[in-house]
Amino acid sequence: MAREKMICQECNMELNHHAEKLIYPSTPQEVRRMDPTLGGLIEETHTCPGCGKGEARRL
Amino acid sequence: MSEDRPLSIPVILGTTRKGRMSAHAARFVAGELARRPGVVTELIDIAALPLPVDDAGEGVKDPGFSEKMNHADGLVIVSPEYNHSFPGLLKHVLDSCLKEYIHKPAGIVGVSAGPFGGARGIQNFLPVLRELGLVAIFWDVNFGTVSKVFDENGKLLDQAYVRRVGKFLDELIWMAKTLRHGREHIALE
Repeated sequence: MAREKMICQECNMELNHHAEKLIYPSTPQEVRRMDPTLGGLIEETHTCPGCGKGEARRL
Repeated sequence: MSEDRPLSIPVILGTTRKGRMSAHAARFVAGELARRPGVVTELIDIAALPLPVDDAGEGVKDPGFSEKMNHADGLVIVSPEYNHSFPGLLKHVLDSCLKEYIHKPAGIVGVSAGPFGGARGIQNFLPVLRELGLVAIFWDVNFGTVSKVFDENGKLLDQAYVRRVGKFLDELIWMAKTLRHGREHIALE
């Protein structure tokens, strides 16, 4: 959980990390990166408390 | 801060069929939504989106639609019922985004030529919304026998829908406010 904070590119505020979704791999690269315990990749969703813009990153 | 920003709740018209009566329902709901203080809305017609059909999912993401979904605090999806389900092209459009929807509420407006108001299509739609990360609200609007609800110019003939849509929007707006607060201020433990 404790990974580098994401910063809003519009207002420079720290984004709030509020969701993690399991994504099933669809490419060979993603298959190699998948978490074998969960059976897929985690995509984090973050939202800016200033402007409301959402960002995501896959682990 | 977030409380100063109006809620953005677009209305998606989820059919491309010629002569679609769902357009009347979508315009009516968007008009009622636009009367709510602190809410901005727009009608998004999937027939106007330039999505190719030779690929699918995020491979066909349209930057304009993606930006609108990212900016949205909630969605109204107006869906006719075709063969007991929702239109395939509506799913094609919705599947083009994912992160844009997470922890946002969605309310479904069902439309049908028959008496059930899209109820069967809505039931089939719910698992799709869940997998997209949207939160389905527990109010629907069911425009059954739609040819008797609107005239050919889109004029509402049955005033009961004013109150029905009002209750639906009350719940959707509450969920939009609550989930926006959660997205912006409550961290995943």
